[in-house]
Amino acid sequence: MLSYILRRIVATLPVMAIVALFVFSLLYIAPGDPAVVIAGDQASPEDVERIRQSLGLDRPFLVQFGSWVWRILHGDLGTSIFTNLPVSAMIGQRLGPTLSLMIVTLLLTIVVAVPLGVVAAWKAGSLIDRVIMGFAVFGFSLPVFVVGYMLAYIFALELEWLPVQGYTPLTQGFWPWLENLILPAIALGCVYIALVARITRAAMLEVLQQDYIRTAKAKGLGQGGILFIHALKNAAVPIVTVIGIGIALLIGGAVVTESVFAIPGLGRLTIDAILRRDYPVIQGIVLLFSFVYVLVNLMIDVTYTLVDPRIRY
Amino acid sequence: MDRRTVLKGLAGAGSLALTGGLSAPAIAQGAAARTLRFVPQANLANFDPIWGTQYVVRNAAAMVWDTLYGIDSSFQPQRQMVESEEVTDDGTTWTFKLRSGLKFHDGAPVLSKDVVASLTRWSARDPMGLMIKALQQELTAVDDRTFKWVLKQPFPKMLYALGKNNSPCAFIMPERIAQTDPFKQISEYVGSGPLKFAKSEWVPGAKAVFEKFADYSPRQEKSSWLAGGKQVMVDRVEWVIMPDPATAAAALQNGEIDWWENPIADLVPVLKKNKNISVDIGDPLGNIGSFRMNFLYPPFNDVKARRAVLMALSQEDYMRAIVGDDNSLWKSLPGYFTPDTPLYTEVGGEILKGKRDLDAAKKLLAESGYSGQPVTCLVAQDQPITKAMGDVTADLLKKLGMNVDFVATDWGTVGSRRAQKTPPGQGGWNMFHTWHAGADCVNPAPYTAIRANGDKAWFGWPTSAGTEKEVTSWFEAKNLDEEKAAIGRLNKAAIDDVVYAPTGFFLSYTAWRKNVSGVTKGPLPLFWGVSKSA
Repeated sequence: MLSYILRRIVATLPVMAIVALFVFSLLYIAPGDPAVVIAGDQASPEDVERIRQSLGLDRPFLVQFGSWVWRILHGDLGTSIFTNLPVSAMIGQRLGPTLSLMIVTLLLTIVVAVPLGVVAAWKAGSLIDRVIMGFAVFGFSLPVFVVGYMLAYIFALELEWLPVQGYTPLTQGFWPWLENLILPAIALGCVYIALVARITRAAMLEVLQQDYIRTAKAKGLGQGGILFIHALKNAAVPIVTVIGIGIALLIGGAVVTESVFAIPGLGRLTIDAILRRDYPVIQGIVLLFSFVYVLVNLMIDVTYTLVDPRIRY
Repeated sequence: MDRRTVLKGLAGAGSLALTGGLSAPAIAQGAAARTLRFVPQANLANFDPIWGTQYVVRNAAAMVWDTLYGIDSSFQPQRQMVESEEVTDDGTTWTFKLRSGLKFHDGAPVLSKDVVASLTRWSARDPMGLMIKALQQELTAVDDRTFKWVLKQPFPKMLYALGKNNSPCAFIMPERIAQTDPFKQISEYVGSGPLKFAKSEWVPGAKAVFEKFADYSPRQEKSSWLAGGKQVMVDRVEWVIMPDPATAAAALQNGEIDWWENPIADLVPVLKKNKNISVDIGDPLGNIGSFRMNFLYPPFNDVKARRAVLMALSQEDYMRAIVGDDNSLWKSLPGYFTPDTPLYTEVGGEILKGKRDLDAAKKLLAESGYSGQPVTCLVAQDQPITKAMGDVTADLLKKLGMNVDFVATDWGTVGSRRAQKTPPGQGGWNMFHTWHAGADCVNPAPYTAIRANGDKAWFGWPTSAGTEKEVTSWFEAKNLDEEKAAIGRLNKAAIDDVVYAPTGFFLSYTAWRKNVSGVTKGPLPLFWGVSKSA
C-alpha cells in the first residue's frame, strides 16, 4: 500500500508540470494587462510600459516561464503584482476560511445526504422516496447564489439568528466560527447533498436486490442493521467516489458562496486575481487546486480499500 | 430565550467538546463603538498611492498620509502641513515652511528632506507634477523645516497641484520610502496622517485596518474635505471588502457594518425604508459618463461621423440605464465640466440639448462617407456602468444605421485593448465606454480625458488644436474670470471636435447606520469628524 501511495505521489509530478505549462500559457495568451490596471485611467502609455518593464512582463514567454518554474522548484510561488505580498502568504491568509467552509459543507452533506439516500432506497417508490428525490432535484436546480440570498434573508435579516456575512477563525471560539459558516455551508451544500443523496439511493437500490440482503432479512436482522451495516458498506464505493469528485464542485461553488457571504477565502482571491490579471496569484491558486484535486483522488482510492476489502493495490 | 440563544448554547457545548474550551474574546461595548466598520467602493489591492492611482487607494492613503495643502469644499488650496509659503515677484521661486511638531507614524519628525523626496516621486507620475518637473530648476531642503522649489518660469497653479485631491495626490512619506522608484511599489507604510495602516491585519480583498495615530497634530481650523483639522473620533477604522452589493445591504441593515460607501441604485429604496439607516448623496462632484471614439480610423476619424453620434444621443437614456428612475441622481450635461463647480459651462453645448434629431444625424453620417463598415464597440460587462451605457450605445448606433460589432468583455480586457492603435479589425477598436470622477473634471489640470494632443492624448487619441490652445490659456490664467473665459472657449472647441461623447452627469448615494454621526459629503469618504455611539 505504501509503495502504491508513493508511486501515485510521484505520478502527480508530471500532472502538475502539465498543469503549470497549461496555466502559464493560457494566462500569457489571454487578453488583459495588469500594468494597465495598476497605472489607472490617467496614466500615459509610457507609464504603462514602464510598469510592464518593472514587473518583467515585457520579457519573452520562455524567459518568463523559465524563471517562474525555477522559483516554483525552489518552493517560491512568487509575489503578487498588486499587493506586493508573497503569493504563499496570501494563499495562507485565505486557506482557513475556504477549508472551514469545505469541511463544514462536507460534513453537512455526509450527515444529511447519505441517510436521505438510504431512506429513499429503503422506501423506493413510496411517497417518502418521491419527496426526497423531489428535494434532490430542487436542490440540484437552484443556483448557489439564489439559495444564499434566500437563506440570508430568512435567517439573518428576518429571524436574526445568524450573521449575514464574514468569517471568524476557529481560534476565536467554536460558535463564532460556526455561526458564520452555517448559511454558506447550506447554500454551497445544496447541490452536493442532492447529488450524493441520488447516488446513495441508486447504489443502495442495487445492493438491496442482492441475495445476502435477503439472507440477512431471513436471519431476522433489524432494518437499521441491514441498511447501515450490510447494505451501506457495500454501496460505499460509488458514494465515496462521488463525494470525492464533488470536491471539485465545492471548489467551484466556493467562489460564488464566498462572494455572497463575504467570506475571505480562496474563491474570492481567485476571482479578484483573474479580474486584475494578477498572474502569480492565479498561477499559485490553480497549482494549489490541482494539487488538492490530485490528492483527493488518491485519498479516494485509498478509502476504497477501507470500505471494500476485495480492493488491494 | 430566542432561537439564536439556543443555537449558541448548543454550539457552546460542542465547542467545549471539540476545542477544549476555546472561546471568543469578549469585546466591550465601548470598544465596538470605537471601531468604525466601512465598506469601500472596491478592494484595497495595493497601498502605494503614487504607484497605483486607483481611487480606492487614494481614499485609504488620505487617512494615512497627509499633504502639504488640502483642497477645501470651495476648491481652494488651504495650508495643511505647511505653516507658510512665499513666492518671488517673478513667480519662479517658492519657499515653504513646515508646521512644527509634525511626526511620522514611526515617531520620526517630518523634515524637509522627506518632503523633497516625496515631491520628487510624486512629480514623476502626476500630470501636474510632470508639468512642474518640466519647469523645475531645483527642489531643495533649506533646513529641517524649510524647502525651496525654483522654476524656470511661473506656475500659477502650484498650490492647487500640491493640495489637489485627484490621484495621485502629493502625499508626504519618509525619505527612505519616497526614494522608491515611482514605477515600483513601496513595501513600508509609515504615514504622516491621522490614521496608521495596520499592515499585519491587512488581508487584500477582505480587510484593511487603520488605527488612530495618537501623535498626529491636527490643524485648528474646521475640517473641509482634505483641508483643516483632521480630528479622528474613533480608535479603529476597519475596511470590510464586500464584492456583492446585496450582501453589503443586508450587513448594513443587520448592523454588521456601519457605513457603506456606494450602495447601488437598485438597493437604495430598501435602505431608505430602514429606520436605522441614513442615506444621502456621497460625492457631490459625482461622475461623468462617456464613450470615446477612435480618431485614427474610419468612421470616427471624420468629425461629421462623431458629430452625427453626438447629435443623436440622448443623455437621458444613458442616465436612466445607469441610475434608474431617481431623477435626483442625474443631470444632462451639455459640456465637459462638473456641474455646480466654479468653472462649469455650457458654452458650445447646443448639440447635446433639446430634442434628438435622428434624421439630421443620419444625413450627417452619410456625408461623412460611412458605408456600413463594422464599428467595433468595446463594452466591459463586469462594470454595471459601462454595461448599461454599452447597451444604450449599441441601440443608438443601430438606429443610425451603423453596423455594430459589439465586443462584450471585461474591464481588464478593455483596459489593454483600448491602448491598441492597430485597426479595429486587427485588435484595435472604434469606441469604448468609461466614466470620469467629477473631481477630475473640475478643471483641465487633472482632466486627462479632455486633452486633445493627438498621439499624446488619452485613448482615442483626439486631435483638437482649439482645445489644446484653451488648456494652455487656463493654465496661464491669472484670476477666476480669465479661467472661466478660457474654459468656455475650451468647452466649445472640445464639443465642436467631439473630443469624447459625454453621456451625462450622475451621482451616487452613500449609506450609514444612524448611530454614526459626522458623515460629510466630499469627493472621497472623509473619516475625520466621524463618530459612532454604541
